[in-house]
Amino acid sequence: MFGSRPEIIYIIAAITGIIILLFNVFPIINTFYWTDSETLIETLFDREVIASIWLSVKCASITTIIAFLLGIPLAYYLARHEFRLKALIESLIDIPMVIPHTVAGICLLTVLSPRSIVGQFLEQNNIETLGTEIGIVIAMLFVSMPLLIDAAKDAFKWVPTRIENVSRSLGANQVQTFFGITFVLSWRGILSGMIITWARAISEFGAVIILAYHPMIAPTLIYERFTTYGMKYAIPANIILIIISVIIFIVLRLISLGGKEKYDSRS
Amino acid sequence: MIHVHNLDIKLGIFKIKNVNLRIARGEFLVLLGPSAAGKSVILESIAGLIPISKGKIVVNNRDVTYLKPEKRNISICYQDYNLFPHLSVRDNICYGLRFKKDKHCVKYSKNFKTLIKLLELEEILDRLPLNLSGGEQQRVSLARGLIGNPDVLLLDEPLSSLDPNIKWTIQEELKSIHQTMHTTIIMVTHDFTEANYLADKVALIYNGEIVQQGTIEDIFQCPQSIFAAQFTGIKNMFWLSKDKELKSFGLKQPAYIGIRPENIYIHHRPLSTYYQYQGRINSFKNNGIYMEIELSTADTKRNYISYLTLNRFFELKLKKDIPIHFGFNKKDLIVIRPKP
Repeated sequence: MFGSRPEIIYIIAAITGIIILLFNVFPIINTFYWTDSETLIETLFDREVIASIWLSVKCASITTIIAFLLGIPLAYYLARHEFRLKALIESLIDIPMVIPHTVAGICLLTVLSPRSIVGQFLEQNNIETLGTEIGIVIAMLFVSMPLLIDAAKDAFKWVPTRIENVSRSLGANQVQTFFGITFVLSWRGILSGMIITWARAISEFGAVIILAYHPMIAPTLIYERFTTYGMKYAIPANIILIIISVIIFIVLRLISLGGKEKYDSRS
Repeated sequence: MIHVHNLDIKLGIFKIKNVNLRIARGEFLVLLGPSAAGKSVILESIAGLIPISKGKIVVNNRDVTYLKPEKRNISICYQDYNLFPHLSVRDNICYGLRFKKDKHCVKYSKNFKTLIKLLELEEILDRLPLNLSGGEQQRVSLARGLIGNPDVLLLDEPLSSLDPNIKWTIQEELKSIHQTMHTTIIMVTHDFTEANYLADKVALIYNGEIVQQGTIEDIFQCPQSIFAAQFTGIKNMFWLSKDKELKSFGLKQPAYIGIRPENIYIHHRPLSTYYQYQGRINSFKNNGIYMEIELSTADTKRNYISYLTLNRFFELKLKKDIPIHFGFNKKDLIVIRPKP
């Protein structure tokens, strides 16, 4: 900053920042004016609404745990190794982020339908996916797992290889080094990735309705009420989902930032 | 005893070729060379952190060539310290002990006490690395590397990121630790003065190969290649092939002769050195504590570099382009016959 007048770039940033914040927050806040407290309280005791929100939270949480268990080893490998097909593999991992979610749902349906080998195998083993919670989790996992892998990969890259080398040279094997050093140091980045994955999963709609219209997750229920009864009946459930999602998101964010490690030089 | 035998390493297009090293127990070896010569690669391959293409690494009669890093009992310290940021200084130092079968052995608590005393770490044991200065971090890194009685301690440019005052202190502490604990140390550096102060033995590396090994005196006094001569500070190097020149320097075959800048004397009057020249001062450069003077002779058409202390320089009232006498003695000549 030179002199007392702010630099032009900061003025532009302030203006665009206000536009972006309004763009993000105004439609959400505006929803609250479309209902009244009485309807809202009534909806709070609507079993169908509560069940659908609970299903959304449960499936998004299971999705995040599965994404964590499957994604972390791969993210670590990609962060630590260079190989010929790496760029291709990274692109394949990110594919679900670039295809429309209803398209993703149809792709998954072709795999899970009883006409496919996978579908037949699942059917023979009495595993139902279509129209079940399993189907919801599969749809959520498909669209949200790349976010966790990418976040974890960046978090692992931030930990210097040399710090792992030192640990190995001091007698810790690869697993002990991973859990004792690398994972601890990258935990915050991974947790941020898990929060984004959870948020992406809970907001998923397009892929889920293709695989499992029923049981209804909250976005499906809101969509159904909107198309069947109109705005008036869709908005209270909408507001409740917004409130619950935002509260969980904020709590998780606070956990990830809480006790922001004193040792983190990025802070 | 550490024996590195015919070591070859391939990293992309860079190659380490036929490295052979023998380091006696308790010896301090310095791998000396310019940047990108392959020093750190050799060090990391000894630690088992980089795979080798060919060769053998034997530590105290144990072939460790294909052992994992954690099985070798070889610890490594880097120039950027790499302390574990989430652990206190005490936990950093003791980190390696949790993986030792005899972790409760009294020798380690004895090592802990010796190291924190030698490295003056008593006051900072409960602090986190982020709150330490560079010098303190390097001390902790050394203590961490040494506490578990490694067969070898590998140091990758441990002094290069420290400011000059701290560097000297840590250098002295390193020497004193080596003398107290008798640990075998292999250190990588590009700084000849560090090698001069610390090393029992030096291996000079250039372009992935060891070009000369020996004591610091061997390399300083008898460099066996142009690279070794230049790296050890010989600024005046001349190829002699004419009979007359060879005769005047007492040589029978063509060779390079080298003269260190500090061995070239300058005066306004003729000198009493064995070789004497008359010439001019082409230029001079103030290097802080000494003056680098470029001289030229009319007869041989050669330029010489001489170092004078600032005091001596001002005393002689030297100026550019003034006629001057300079010379050097026969004993200061270094003859280099490059290997075919």
